[in-house]
Amino acid sequence: MSNKELGFVFKKELCIQCHACESACKNWHHTGPGVKWRRIAHRWQGNYPFVSGYTLSLACMHCLNPECTRVCPAGAIKKHPDTGAVLVEPSKCIGCGRCLKACPVKAPQFGADGRMQKCDLCYGDPAVFDTSEPPCIRACPTQALSLQWRTPQEKADDERQMTDLAKD
Amino acid sequence: MEHTKNNGGFTYEEAAALARRKNETVVPGFCSMCGPNGGCGIYAFVKDGRLIRVAGMAESPKNKGSLCAKGLASAQWLYSPDRLKYPLLRKGKKGEGIFEKISWDDAISIIADKLSEQKRLYGPESLAILAPALRTYNPLMQRFLTVHGSPNYGHSGICAMQRMFGFSYTIGGYPACDYEHSDLIIYWARQPVYSGPATEIAKSLVRAVKRGAKIITIKPSLEADGELGSLWLPIRPGTDAALALAMLHVIITEDLIDHDFVSQWCYGYDRLKQHIARYSPQWAQDICGIPAEQIQSTARLYARTKAAAIDVGNGVEHAPSSCDAIRAIAMLMAITGHLNRPGCNMVGQPPAVPSPAPLHLNERYTPEMVDRLVAPEFPKAFQPFMEGTSSAYFRIFESVLTKKPYPIRAIIAPGTQPLVSTRGSGLVMEALRQLDFFVTVDVTRPAEMNYADIVLPTTTPYEADHPFEAQGNWIMARRRIVEPLGDYKSIFEFILELAVKMGYGADFWNGDIKAMEAYRLAPLHITPEELYSHPQGIVLTPKPQPAVDFKTAFGRKSPRLAHDRFLPQQKVALYNILFEQEGFEPMPVWREPPESLTATPHLRDRYPLILTDYHTTKSFTASWQRNVVSLREIQPEPTVHIHPDTAAQRGIKNGDWVRVESPHGWLKVRAELYPGIRPDTVMIQHGWWQGCGELGLPDTPILDGGANVNHLYSTDPQKAYDPLVTAMSSQTLVEVSLYEQ
Repeated sequence: MSNKELGFVFKKELCIQCHACESACKNWHHTGPGVKWRRIAHRWQGNYPFVSGYTLSLACMHCLNPECTRVCPAGAIKKHPDTGAVLVEPSKCIGCGRCLKACPVKAPQFGADGRMQKCDLCYGDPAVFDTSEPPCIRACPTQALSLQWRTPQEKADDERQMTDLAKD
Repeated sequence: MEHTKNNGGFTYEEAAALARRKNETVVPGFCSMCGPNGGCGIYAFVKDGRLIRVAGMAESPKNKGSLCAKGLASAQWLYSPDRLKYPLLRKGKKGEGIFEKISWDDAISIIADKLSEQKRLYGPESLAILAPALRTYNPLMQRFLTVHGSPNYGHSGICAMQRMFGFSYTIGGYPACDYEHSDLIIYWARQPVYSGPATEIAKSLVRAVKRGAKIITIKPSLEADGELGSLWLPIRPGTDAALALAMLHVIITEDLIDHDFVSQWCYGYDRLKQHIARYSPQWAQDICGIPAEQIQSTARLYARTKAAAIDVGNGVEHAPSSCDAIRAIAMLMAITGHLNRPGCNMVGQPPAVPSPAPLHLNERYTPEMVDRLVAPEFPKAFQPFMEGTSSAYFRIFESVLTKKPYPIRAIIAPGTQPLVSTRGSGLVMEALRQLDFFVTVDVTRPAEMNYADIVLPTTTPYEADHPFEAQGNWIMARRRIVEPLGDYKSIFEFILELAVKMGYGADFWNGDIKAMEAYRLAPLHITPEELYSHPQGIVLTPKPQPAVDFKTAFGRKSPRLAHDRFLPQQKVALYNILFEQEGFEPMPVWREPPESLTATPHLRDRYPLILTDYHTTKSFTASWQRNVVSLREIQPEPTVHIHPDTAAQRGIKNGDWVRVESPHGWLKVRAELYPGIRPDTVMIQHGWWQGCGELGLPDTPILDGGANVNHLYSTDPQKAYDPLVTAMSSQTLVEVSLYEQ
């Protein structure tokens, strides 16, 4: 899997908006009030009565070439060499919020300490990281969300798809 | 981290390995965050006696490792600051909220003395126990009532039994869906994903979408389930009967029936044919808001699709024409030949595995007990029904005020919050003020706590080692996950101890819960010890199911005292002589809600919009769990779903605080602009009152100015009920305007 990276693959046609992934992340990582490393969003399409919509499970996409890393003035955001996970070093973060502005899915979160936090692919909890799947994916009743090794091309496609879907 | 395999949840080995790494222990258990579809298998991770988190149990046939938002938030519920801490005795006036701490022994003595005294003075029927959503303990409360001598088990009149009644007395039983083979599934007033999303109901919808089955969803607003490629029929709230009658009209006038089935297995087709002539699609479109052409095309599609199933949800149980809607839908299934065929609705299937021994004592019901019902949920001639004798929940409160036919003197309310769970919150509040004796039993602070004489705090099921649960073919012992966090008893312990105190011990295993568990297990030939030795429970092998012939399916005996058949002719009752004999409509008819655009046009100027509510939500169970932080963050505030055009006409923007006013009261909620709702309809989630201290969100008023939607509905005795099944209307007319201080 030389140049492959881990990436979330989301199939909107299977998502039933149960919020299990969001709740699993919160209750496994005990993130504080107002902080959601993974969140459910919804978008409407069309007009009544020919209206429809879709649900999105959004979190850091651990991009191939993360904008957040590029714009961070403190050098606090780095890619992990083994998995491609985009990880933030809280002690370096100055809380400027540029990463949030740059992120196509608005994944960066700011809790009580004012420093950026987000999905770390469970790197912060080694015992959980070492299980085969993160809790968000294990909880999903319809396999709408998965974590897979992706080629750079696949990952770029995933990122583009999610970015488009997440647009208001 | 390896490549994903996405089997869902954790196996025991995986959970144990994770627990070892984290210096925790893992306990198999049941999720307890919802009901009646609750009881998904979980692994609970415990450290130093504290529940840290839960995961779905891969070995459980019920959820196969999946879990939902509510289940995953279990620990936040368990450790909520809103939990009751010890039994309380009221010291101040009713409603004041002044209590003193008492012991469980004292609480049980006070209750036993009061119930004994009232039984002596007013008769045993003066006691009512209100039913919560179906839990394993419900029949134990009915057992208590039966031994005490009261028939008054207060069932809500809006849940499951209404469908069971209408279906049983029309097609002999509940028509389960053979989803896996359907080419067309009609979800009618149904929410298949927010209620038990980790279970097969939601998964079967997704499988049907994947294999390209046609899906139709019938409800006033479009939700996530309907967005998975369904055709949405946006129906006006409370008008399901009108739509079903018009679909029958199309199928009968266009002769799309299964002639063989109708001639062999249906009773009264000619009379139905004559009767249905008045209910044309043109007639129905003005009432239900669905264009006549769409009613026709839907009826034709259903009649002509061989493998077609209708999944009827709780939404049909909230209208004065509830039973007629259910009967008409049952007739749709029958006359089109959609019963007991692959991919259709299955009726009369016997259980594939044996059930535990029931806890009720239905064999002890007598004609005298039926006659003493204070407010029969079903007419006395049809009592007892499936769950035993029952009185209509709201009418129990009415009896306190009207004293007709006699006043209920004591109410025990476990795990049900009458102030916000039933219509007419103002009347319930007044009845609670006047009621002689009120005992509330719950895990967290209930809405009507301040009106209780005694408040009893129960364990969560995570703090108890009973009861075992049997769900389909999966049966598992309950293990205590953490020690009780306060001076708690389980509801089983409470009822058994109260029964012993009142001298009913012989019927209650003399207070021995282990003996009760052994009694329940006996028909399965499993001992409690044996069950406990299987950490993930036992999966019973279903017996091979012979195809059920219609003679058997339509010949089922009813639970009435005489145990006569549901269907006297052993045929589908298109014309119902049992209902006719008791003075009810022999064929389904249309009956308007108490207030609607078509029933009360004089109200339209002042109240131009229809209001109804969501019964099931993705983040809360009924009126509970607003205190659970991660769930409250999903839906922080009560909202009204309003179409953007409807909002724009009123100068309302997304997120604005608005006033929603009906002829019966007003609420203050936030506007949520919702393109997927009928522009003439607005909807609010029911059950809002509880605050969330950790998020700085206060409680909201129960009546005017709050967000409790049940306050807005009519309880007019002549108009608000279905005459056969006492389903209560949850439709009214409202105006929505910007909230001004």
